[in-house]
Amino acid sequence: MLQPWLPRNPRAACSLVCSRCHQALVLQQRPRIARRISQSISFRSSRWLQTESASSADPVPLRKQLKQEAKALRARKRQTKQDEEASRRGWELTVGIEIHAQLDTEAKLFSRAATSTSDIPNTNVALFDLAFPGSQPEFQVATLLPALRAAIALNCEIQPVSRFDRKHYFYQDQPAGYQITQYYEPFAKHGYVDLFDYDGIAPEDGSRVRVEIKQVQLEQDTAKSQEYPPSMQLLDFNRVSHPLIEIITLPQIHTPATAAACVRKIQAILQSCGAVTTGMELGGLRADVNVSVRRRDEAPGTHQYHGVGGLGQRTEIKNLSSFKAVEDAIVAEKNRQIAVLESGGVIEGETRGWTIGSTETRKLRSKEGAVDYRYMPDPDLAPLVIDPGLTAQLKETLPTSADDLVELLRGPAYGLSIEDAKPLIELDDGARLEYFMDVVDLLRILQQDEDAKSVDRLGRIVGNWVLHELGGLLTKGELAWDADRVSAPSLAELIDQLHRKHITGATAKLVLTMLFDGDQRPIRQLLEEENLLLRPLSRDEYVALAETVMSQNLRMVEQIRTKNQVGKLGWFVGQMMRTGEKGRVEAQRAEEVLRELILGS
Amino acid sequence: MSLLREAERCVANQRAHAGLNALIAPLQRSEEWLSRVRQADIRRENKSPKSRLDGRLVTIKDNICTRDFPTTCGSGILDKYSSPFNATVVEQLEKGGAIIAGKTNLDEFGMGSHSVHSRFGPVKNQHPRHGRDVSAGGSSGGSAVAVATDQCYAALGTDTGGSVRLPAAYTGTVGFKPSYGLISRWGVVAYANSLDTVGILGKDTSSVRAVFDNKPSKRLMKKIADVVNRHDPRDPTNLSPSSRSRILSSLDSPQFASRLASRPLKIGFPKEYNVSELTPAVRRAWMLALSHLRKQGHTIHPVSVPATKSALSAYYVIAPAEASSNLAKYDGVRYGTRAEGPDGEGRTDGYLYGKTRGQGFGDEVKRRVLLGTFSLSADAIDNYFLQAQRIRRLVVHDFNAVFNLSHPLADTSIQNGPESENAQREVQRADVDVLVCPTAPSAPPFLDSLLGGSASSPLDAYVNDIFTVPASLAGLPAISVPISLPDPQSQDPEMIGIQVIGQYGDDELVLKVGGLLEGQKLS
Repeated sequence: MLQPWLPRNPRAACSLVCSRCHQALVLQQRPRIARRISQSISFRSSRWLQTESASSADPVPLRKQLKQEAKALRARKRQTKQDEEASRRGWELTVGIEIHAQLDTEAKLFSRAATSTSDIPNTNVALFDLAFPGSQPEFQVATLLPALRAAIALNCEIQPVSRFDRKHYFYQDQPAGYQITQYYEPFAKHGYVDLFDYDGIAPEDGSRVRVEIKQVQLEQDTAKSQEYPPSMQLLDFNRVSHPLIEIITLPQIHTPATAAACVRKIQAILQSCGAVTTGMELGGLRADVNVSVRRRDEAPGTHQYHGVGGLGQRTEIKNLSSFKAVEDAIVAEKNRQIAVLESGGVIEGETRGWTIGSTETRKLRSKEGAVDYRYMPDPDLAPLVIDPGLTAQLKETLPTSADDLVELLRGPAYGLSIEDAKPLIELDDGARLEYFMDVVDLLRILQQDEDAKSVDRLGRIVGNWVLHELGGLLTKGELAWDADRVSAPSLAELIDQLHRKHITGATAKLVLTMLFDGDQRPIRQLLEEENLLLRPLSRDEYVALAETVMSQNLRMVEQIRTKNQVGKLGWFVGQMMRTGEKGRVEAQRAEEVLRELILGS
Repeated sequence: MSLLREAERCVANQRAHAGLNALIAPLQRSEEWLSRVRQADIRRENKSPKSRLDGRLVTIKDNICTRDFPTTCGSGILDKYSSPFNATVVEQLEKGGAIIAGKTNLDEFGMGSHSVHSRFGPVKNQHPRHGRDVSAGGSSGGSAVAVATDQCYAALGTDTGGSVRLPAAYTGTVGFKPSYGLISRWGVVAYANSLDTVGILGKDTSSVRAVFDNKPSKRLMKKIADVVNRHDPRDPTNLSPSSRSRILSSLDSPQFASRLASRPLKIGFPKEYNVSELTPAVRRAWMLALSHLRKQGHTIHPVSVPATKSALSAYYVIAPAEASSNLAKYDGVRYGTRAEGPDGEGRTDGYLYGKTRGQGFGDEVKRRVLLGTFSLSADAIDNYFLQAQRIRRLVVHDFNAVFNLSHPLADTSIQNGPESENAQREVQRADVDVLVCPTAPSAPPFLDSLLGGSASSPLDAYVNDIFTVPASLAGLPAISVPISLPDPQSQDPEMIGIQVIGQYGDDELVLKVGGLLEGQKLS
């Protein structure tokens, strides 16, 4: 029943997790950022290290040194950020993105040779892939399906007729001397992607940004080349003519973080609709960004790209292979352009490159006008005619978009926080979400007799158990997701027992661990056999228990009474639970009794 | 004569006429093909040949891929190249029992009108004039001369703007360019894909038919599968079986089917072809051919095809543009000949492949690659490439307006569109069955004047294609057949090529009218 909701591509899982972690790091988790920096610090330039050692005549303990270094780096980073903010105020940045994504297909775009990423070099190559004289293209219709799914997921209008063109340039990785692409008439146009605050867009972009997609086109990948200076180049043609889609956004992005978020979101969309093989980290997705700046207080710039006018001269940064690279390269290029312009210089329309870890983009070749690709309709390839019926059918079978799922999970039906909704959607290729929904459904049936208000909270409770309790056990055991490890009915029943106060929270967690470790007994039987069902203590028993723990720590009792350190009550609650009979002490009641005895209220 | 004797005579002729330079790779004697010919002889005796080509020698233009012979395209960049696969047409010929009897000389990659732009030297016409060697025509000059001098039974050429018809006219042979898309181009090295058509050269229309489609032979009284006129899924521009049956059914109506039997034909005389460049002899041959047809009961109708005047210019924009793209693959990296030493002038900022391509290509290829590169460049594409495509469309409209048969594959919604131009042309619709005109405006020029360099500009050579290019732009079937007139300056009669052009898909009728004219001694 849930199937159509869920993303299909089993390979999507790991990269989604990665992208989430990465995002989390960028967004909030300060300690982790600091740790990363302190790791990278030892690889920093030698100049920096020498200054450090020269200034410290006395041997500084390593731990202290690392701390100092981390602190200094944080300060520097803060300063950079401040400088950047200052410069941003005067200048407006404009970014457009081109994303190349390898489609998940069996065959290449124009031959029956298999696609592959890991096979022995030059083993999957047809005559046409090598541009042998006399060979001709054979369009592989099946490659159209993932391309269409991607374009539909990106809200594009599918064109009933599109065509293939040749883009000419000489390079070793391009055997025909031209790439077959769709320049004049692409198969999809006028799409968009919505970016929300939870997608990691820059705070100044508010809660939502829409980035329009000018077009999506089908094209061939190039060969993989490996340089062995000074004079050797190795070529692997397995990748030649692997079907790609190129997604071109309008230049509508004005912050580096939002540009990175846009690439990340597009990757997630492509993966969840099963259009692509791998993400950026495995080279299945590459981004080019075009960057321009203009002074806010001056007349609009004279340049126009894709119909968006008033911009400054742009440069293009090619082949960015991570989200971080996208963000960092844009920051660096923006700063470079501002520096050039502020010192009275002129920005040249050129292609630039970015190396991970560097602070500056570098010029690859100048003036995009200098490369004239001489686009020509391919005379061997018939127009691509796409039946609107096919588009409609694909639209129906496409999994629900992540944005819609987020809305659903945050809505009244489940009431999840965005922090819980996002991982549920992204983890385990949707299997976690499916499991979550199964547990909620089962629990609702079990809780039919309960009042509506408490049933409303079930989504949040189940979310907590599925993500954090079960998730914690998986992480601890370094295990992959498996919906059968603790079956959905078992978890539903366990939560039901807890919710009905038949067991304590501690018991519930204990039972979850037992189930997780393979206990096959039905919940009821397990609880009974292990004597875990809550037999409520009498008031007298609570009082006795409370008095015992109080008597052992009279000083603390006194502190609570005189200094009103109510927080310390919790410690006594813990003591009561530990001392008392396992699974019988309820925290809430224990606290009530303690308050009464200590504070008299 | 037995097939074996015929084959051995061909091989002997290949040796005897080696000086004409028709073949780049001749057929070597080998027991393998000799025994295949002997078996064909037995099949012929048993009246069960594989096809009318069974046991016959067919030579192949050297821009068509063969596994057993090199495929050089007459180019330095492929001068040692052997293709790892056979072109579909080669497979089809061998399946029909034919023996591939060598690779014929040509203008490099098919670019030329006189077969002088070859890495392997110029082809010579078998009939010198006044003791001087003359052009064999191009670019399939080697195929034409091989046929004319009995070095084979028939030959395959390629015709992009007249490259089969012009050499046929110059050598007194029959050269047939079928409708675009009928014969597979898989394995045919592309010059200009949208124009390239495999063509057939033979001594007469009968031998051309033997290669093309094997109509039921009277003697055998049974239909044998077509040889090269067959669908090939590997060529994306090849006509699908459904398009083929659409064409056949449009020709099957009594109105059109009767033209192949006895009904008198309406022969169109395209006025715009009567240009000042026509030599008196060619004009006379044209008039005699028309009157010959009239004497046989057919009627002659002057028709107008006004876009013809611009067709040559359009051709010399479109073909080089496609060529510049198609030839970008020759870089010496994966196959072909690579220049010695580091490329890119040994510098990182040098032109990649500049040295290899500079050394590998001949002057005419370089000229056309440059032309095409220019006409596709951002600043020129509107005025050249796109303009030429518009002219190409007008040429198609012109032909559609004069032929009785409508274009069987035309999109009717476009044809009946509101374009006023169309409506105008509709009015003067001439309803002819075929057009008859000269193949070339003059007799073959002297080779030494062509090779002289400065004496003749490339444009002079381009003019020879003036009558052949329109049919190429429109993808129409066209044939050049020889007729002979008495030559006042010589004992021998003068051979002149007359061209028959038909509507798309009307290949049978074109072959039939060619047959009415071929070999006629007119005066």
